[in-house]
Amino acid sequence: MMEALQIMKWPLLACLLLPGLLVYLGLHVVQREIIFVDLALAQVAALGSCVAVLLGHEANAWQTYAWSLSFTLVGAVIFTLTRTKDRRIPQEALIGIVYVVAAAAGILLLSHSAHGDEELRRTLVGEVLLVQPAEIGKIFGAFAVIAAIHYFFRRQFLALSYGPTLPAGAGWWDFLFYVLFGLVVTGFVHVGGVLLTFSYLIVPAVCAAFVADSLPVRLLVGWLIATLGSVAGLASSYRFDLPTGAAIVCALGVALLITGATAGLRGKPSARLKR
Amino acid sequence: MNHHLSLISQKFVLAAALGGILTATAAHATLNVVATTPELAAIAQAIGGDRVAVTSLAKPTEDPHFVTPKPSFIVKLNHADALIEGGAELEVGWLPPLLDNARNPKLALGAPGRLQAATVVSMLEVPTTLDRSKGDIHAMGNPHFMTDPLNGRAVAQLIAERLGTLAPKEAEVFKANLAKFNERLDAKLIEWQKSLAPCASKRVVAYHNTWPYFAQRFALKVDLFLEPKPGIPPTPANLAAVMSRMKAERIRTVIVEPYQNRKTAERVAAETGAVVLDFCQFPGGVKGTEGGYIELLDYLVQSLAKALATEGKP
Repeated sequence: MMEALQIMKWPLLACLLLPGLLVYLGLHVVQREIIFVDLALAQVAALGSCVAVLLGHEANAWQTYAWSLSFTLVGAVIFTLTRTKDRRIPQEALIGIVYVVAAAAGILLLSHSAHGDEELRRTLVGEVLLVQPAEIGKIFGAFAVIAAIHYFFRRQFLALSYGPTLPAGAGWWDFLFYVLFGLVVTGFVHVGGVLLTFSYLIVPAVCAAFVADSLPVRLLVGWLIATLGSVAGLASSYRFDLPTGAAIVCALGVALLITGATAGLRGKPSARLKR
Repeated sequence: MNHHLSLISQKFVLAAALGGILTATAAHATLNVVATTPELAAIAQAIGGDRVAVTSLAKPTEDPHFVTPKPSFIVKLNHADALIEGGAELEVGWLPPLLDNARNPKLALGAPGRLQAATVVSMLEVPTTLDRSKGDIHAMGNPHFMTDPLNGRAVAQLIAERLGTLAPKEAEVFKANLAKFNERLDAKLIEWQKSLAPCASKRVVAYHNTWPYFAQRFALKVDLFLEPKPGIPPTPANLAAVMSRMKAERIRTVIVEPYQNRKTAERVAAETGAVVLDFCQFPGGVKGTEGGYIELLDYLVQSLAKALATEGKP
């Protein structure tokens, strides 16, 4: 037991501290029905890193971060401009297109770099097991600032996702939302990989939608699910010696199954959040 | 630490049995030895005998450049008395962060418990200039040196010396085991050179540039690769170039390792009338090589000699 803690303490800390903000943003994302926007933004950010690596920068040099950040900004602009009222072109479709094109472009770019395939796989599953304390500190600091902005402007951001009326200057708030969202996703993808980031965003939010109607309760349920999923995933990763990120993703999947089944048995329809 | 030892060792035995990794009976093991790759583990086992418990981090079927880290790796490194790595940047992508997390001072660089095999062999293909555009070039030279049996001999010597330093009471046992290992290897080497002598200066195609040391020892030419540059997946243009040289020079053998894309090799072989030969740097990576380092080389030599002997015959 002591040894398990010794080995898993940094991944555990990362998985307890960092997903808090992801769960909250997940509630927004699920409500807006832009589920795959995080995958798309993460992929666009990864494309930025690919370009930086091709230009000869090291994977963790500041230029690489700058490239991936500016690509994320471009992605944010794209998603802001495509939030149209035109029902013929659902935004989800555009998000999907951005995702696959960014992924394919990454494959093209890295086909000329050594072991590019393996690098791409690494961005997918991440290396949460080997997270360094300094990394957790840096990302937690950035997350705290972003969370503060979200708290300060919660009226505008909530109106944006939940209505009933859009805030004044909705376009700019939308842009700010995507920029902050992109920062969070890029930060966490660096630690946990794309799969784990997606799971922390979406699974707790969907679980919460099964059992609760009000935003604060959904947030609490989401945090609870994320915490339980993390602990169960990390414990089984240690116990059965499994790749850590994938184990957490599967634990969250099981949590969703249990929540869904329980909600189904209780016969409670998952009502849409009203305000 | 010792009270952890038996429990951990049991776990190791179980894991090793499942994974087909070599291991000693933990009951009277005095040293916990971790090797990054299975061929180093196999030699450590041959030298250490029942005085060591050996585990390998990478599986024999895994690409040694890219190993997925798992919690048990940190546990193993944390409890290790010695770590044997290839060095020469083969494990640079995955070993350093694991070592950071394991925090084991016995394995610090320069400590007797940290063995870098590359320090006792003379490296081939050391680049004069470093240039990323040439693919996955290793600054210290080609890291696949264990495919030359004489390099295996040198590494066995290093392991015997270091294990003797770490457990002086057992030093004589290690020396005796080394002598046995060398005697077997030397006898086999003569046999191997005889088997491959008729194939001297024949050319063989390989997927990745894994075999320069093997080729040098047995006077073969393994200098055509399906990868256009080391670590870069085969491109149509490069495959076409390789295939036309195969046809022109009647090259009939393509060697491929377990973690490489066999389909690509099969396609090339089908188009050129060649055969695909399953090669591997690690004992256990191909069926029939589980016995150890010498058994692995025995398999490589015999299967290649057979393939080259039938070459050209209808």
